[in-house]
Amino acid sequence: MIASTITLHHCLFLSILIFSIGAFGVLVRKNIIVILMGIELMLNAVNLSFVSFGYFNSSLDGQLMSFFVMTVAAAEAGVGLALAVTVFKKFKKIDIKLFETLRD
Amino acid sequence: MNIQLEPSSITFVTPAIALFFFSLVPLFMKVFRGNKEPSSFSVLIYSFLGLIVAAGLSVIFPAESSLVFSGALVFDGLSIWSNFLIILATGFSIVYAREHLETCHRQFSEIVFLMMNAAVGMMIVAWSNDLIITFIGIEIMSLCLYILIALSDEEKLSKEAAFKYFVLGSLGSAIFLFGIAFIYGGSGTTQFSLLKSASFELVSTSPVFLSGIVMTLLGLCFKAGVFPFHSWVPDVYQGSPTPLTTFMSTGVKVVTFVVFLRFFATGFLMPESSETLLNVMQVLAVITMLIGNLCALGQKSFKRMLAYSSLSHTGYVLVGIISMGLGGGYAVGASGVLFYSFGYLLMTLGTFGVASLYESRVGQEIYIEDLKGLGRKNPWVAISLSLLLLSLAGIPPTVGFFGKLFIFSAAIQNGLIWLAVWGVINSVISVYYYLKPIVHMFFSEDECMLSSGRSKQLTEFSVGLMATLVLLVGFMSSSFYEFVTKSVGQLF
Repeated sequence: MIASTITLHHCLFLSILIFSIGAFGVLVRKNIIVILMGIELMLNAVNLSFVSFGYFNSSLDGQLMSFFVMTVAAAEAGVGLALAVTVFKKFKKIDIKLFETLRD
Repeated sequence: MNIQLEPSSITFVTPAIALFFFSLVPLFMKVFRGNKEPSSFSVLIYSFLGLIVAAGLSVIFPAESSLVFSGALVFDGLSIWSNFLIILATGFSIVYAREHLETCHRQFSEIVFLMMNAAVGMMIVAWSNDLIITFIGIEIMSLCLYILIALSDEEKLSKEAAFKYFVLGSLGSAIFLFGIAFIYGGSGTTQFSLLKSASFELVSTSPVFLSGIVMTLLGLCFKAGVFPFHSWVPDVYQGSPTPLTTFMSTGVKVVTFVVFLRFFATGFLMPESSETLLNVMQVLAVITMLIGNLCALGQKSFKRMLAYSSLSHTGYVLVGIISMGLGGGYAVGASGVLFYSFGYLLMTLGTFGVASLYESRVGQEIYIEDLKGLGRKNPWVAISLSLLLLSLAGIPPTVGFFGKLFIFSAAIQNGLIWLAVWGVINSVISVYYYLKPIVHMFFSEDECMLSSGRSKQLTEFSVGLMATLVLLVGFMSSSFYEFVTKSVGQLF
């Protein structure tokens, strides 16, 4: 018989897993859109951990903070997509392999 | 949580509100004229009006160390000081932007709008007493900067720089935020003033809290460009239009140092609670200095050389921040860091101003070799640049020397003798690449090919002003330092 209650550890494990998937996407993938998705995943994983910490410490602060994070995530996605459009207009491709001019 | 909004709290944040409203003026002017760019001089006047009003408001409402907005913001000597530094950096960057080829044309009013809003974000970061407010401020600042860099008239490098900055900046913010979540989980609060009493014990007892601290530190290192997260700094500084590089390397740097100060002041770095953390931070500071200096030695591009030198200066400041965090010399370390930040601001505004002065084509890169013969062509600029570079190298009697002196003596007072020794070794290495441009300018027979292209009187004037200030503040350093210590003393 498996205990069927969800504890803080489960939530944290899930959040760390999602965060790592997002970080992996940002660091490894070459497509700009996938990188933006990775950033969103990371921020949402943080939201999950905020909410679960708040719930298990029985305080509302965590949920409050997740609202701030959501707002910022939306703004960041907006700017990121705008940058992606500019890059696409210039290079006709969205691939970070194009970015090799600035280096030692 | 019991949230009350006292009307008196509003008076404290008036500088940011004033900056925001004045930033709207140029934008509205453009809208009401049917999307036609207003004259750049009037935009400059309105932005300066806003900056002056903001500076005046921060003087009128002085703080006796008060927490406002239910402890979300703190107003003390450090906040007021950083207000002035931010206003100084923004003002001169706007002057450079008006006369620089890549930023002055079609979208100058938008650029001024974004720069002033980035300044609002910086102020929020400098005032914040709550990690989540710090995060919001950093994001306001960074989002403005990403767009600013991409707005440049130069098509290729600036887009690359903007995107690199965006991806790495967001990665840093996400890690910073994850750290905040863990700090919240471990201690139940995110306010610096509440963490102050709790963090000393929690670091050694709660692994959740410790991992939160570590991740928040990593995020901050990303923002400040501390090793191992420094690799974006030279790329972004080189690719951005020079006025914005100036803005980033002065305003953003100073503000990150303030966050470091506030974060370290919570006292988790005490050797009794976490010796490993202290050692790691020391090693990071030394490697940051070394990487910055060694990479700057071989650079041919003037801007890239300055970018690496700004890395090494981050390392020096980190020495001061660590010694502040050690507790004993609390105020000594903090005022040393502030004094150094002020000196660094003057020097960087000056040196990048010279780069901005001589970029006469879109996308032009100034090489150190290009400076040959500048001493005969434009002796005043050459003398100013030499003074600024000597100050960066830390030669007395300039402000750079005294800044390093105060920081390293704070380190020695706290028993970090090896850190101070490494700092001195690094300043000796740095003399080589700071002297190279000076030798080129004055001891070369070649004809100087650089020209400023269009009339750039204000930029030239600012460069001269910075050089004078570097000398003046250097001469008056002891009385100035006492003034800084007194105003920061109210903080703790």
